Amino acid sequence: MYRETGLVNSSLTSAQDDAALLALVQGGDDRAMAALFDRYSKVVYSVALRVLRDPSTAEDILQDVFMQIWRNPDSFVATRGSLGGWLAVVARNRAIDTLRRKKPTDQVDDMALASNYNLANEAERNSLMERARSVIHKLPTEQRKTLEMAFFDGLTHTEIAEMTGDPLGTVKTRIRSALTTLRKAFTA
Amino acid sequence: MSDPMNDRPINSEDLALYAMQLLTEEERAAVAAYLAKSVEARRELAEIQGDLAVFAHTVDLHSPPTMARERFLKQLARERKPGSPDRAMAETRPQGAPVRSGTVFAEAAERMKAAKIEPPKGVSAVESSETVVAIDHIDQPKRSFAGRAFSWAGWAVAAGLAVAAGSFYRERDTLRETLASQTSQMDHMKTDMTSQSADLEAAREVMDTMKDSSAMRVTLTTYKASTAPIGRATYVPSKGALVFLVSNMAPLQPAKTYELWLLPAAEGMGPIPAGMFVPDAHGNASVIMPPMPKGIEAKGFGVTIENEGGSATPTMPIVLSGE
Repeated sequence: MYRETGLVNSSLTSAQDDAALLALVQGGDDRAMAALFDRYSKVVYSVALRVLRDPSTAEDILQDVFMQIWRNPDSFVATRGSLGGWLAVVARNRAIDTLRRKKPTDQVDDMALASNYNLANEAERNSLMERARSVIHKLPTEQRKTLEMAFFDGLTHTEIAEMTGDPLGTVKTRIRSALTTLRKAFTA
Repeated sequence: MSDPMNDRPINSEDLALYAMQLLTEEERAAVAAYLAKSVEARRELAEIQGDLAVFAHTVDLHSPPTMARERFLKQLARERKPGSPDRAMAETRPQGAPVRSGTVFAEAAERMKAAKIEPPKGVSAVESSETVVAIDHIDQPKRSFAGRAFSWAGWAVAAGLAVAAGSFYRERDTLRETLASQTSQMDHMKTDMTSQSADLEAAREVMDTMKDSSAMRVTLTTYKASTAPIGRATYVPSKGALVFLVSNMAPLQPAKTYELWLLPAAEGMGPIPAGMFVPDAHGNASVIMPPMPKGIEAKGFGVTIENEGGSATPTMPIVLSGE
């Protein structure tokens, strides 16, 4: 443990990868948990705020998501991909559940996520954000808007079709096309 | 891909909707059943979740409130796990070296008792300091003054070492506490600075929006009202920046909120939620820089009354509007 080796919080936040911090969290290390909070709270809060548009409820989601990691660090396992990505999607799903006034679904926790990005590294995280924004900005407006309505507003394809007047199939295709473009841009 | 149960084709579009939890319960169950059987579908779902994680990172970043971290740490402390580092240290202290001095003496006393019952014979005084203590009290009453002084010197050295060890341990503890405290203070200062920077940036954006010569300014009123509510929206489409000030608003029923809507100029686009507000006792309220998509031209704004928490679509009637 870091107390015995003389490591302190600052080195936890900068040097250790997510897997190492999670291993410490499994041992009940609250400083490791605080380091993960410092690393990812901004993204988790921002995603929840974008969905809910209410700072107070977004903060509730923030607390909820990180306390889940603390209470049950096994809910995320490294084989499920990047912790940062997992947290961002879990935050979105929890926020949508709150928007719909639903209990959190098990599906949220039981989620595998393919990712090649080391989001523990701040520089890589920032680079990913910039690239993703750039790709999304270049999408056709209808595709971008449809994906935003589905992901951030939690509107079903049926609701989107009703709001936009587009056929149901078109809505589904736009969502899938937007995600495909995003994936291609990052695998190219 | 297809769902063999219902012979319904399941494709990656369905998996994307499943990943975003946008399917009906029946559809979700069908996809889940298919996923349980298909490795390929599970792999594709994981890829889609990865895509969504990337997309989630396109969100505009906002710092959590300053107190959020503190609240989280307090909650952590309340739910501290057994066997966490501090507790582990506390639990292992009786067996650990730094605080053993008292235990050493107790153990020595025990050995002394044991030795009294059956004193060992021919034990050299230099075998170990603890043995010296035991033997010295019990088995050698006729020693010379120099011998007694020498044996007591062992006690004195042991006691001195114990005191020194205790002192070093306390000093180490104090240093650790100081270090932890200073680290915590630095963390808080960093969080405060981040928050202040974010506040400053937000204030700058508000000022830029208010001063922007290209900003669209709209006044929202009701028709023929004596103390008419009046709202002013300042909106910069390219930045997605919006400042909305309103006065003379009627009080709301409990569990209700006013919600501001941007009415897009583009045909086919529905109203976009632009923030919620509850007026104060004087009927005044504001919506400052709500999270908004950039690049949406507006033909106007409207205000509706919604249930607390807001709505994805406006509920009629529109209580304020302006173009």
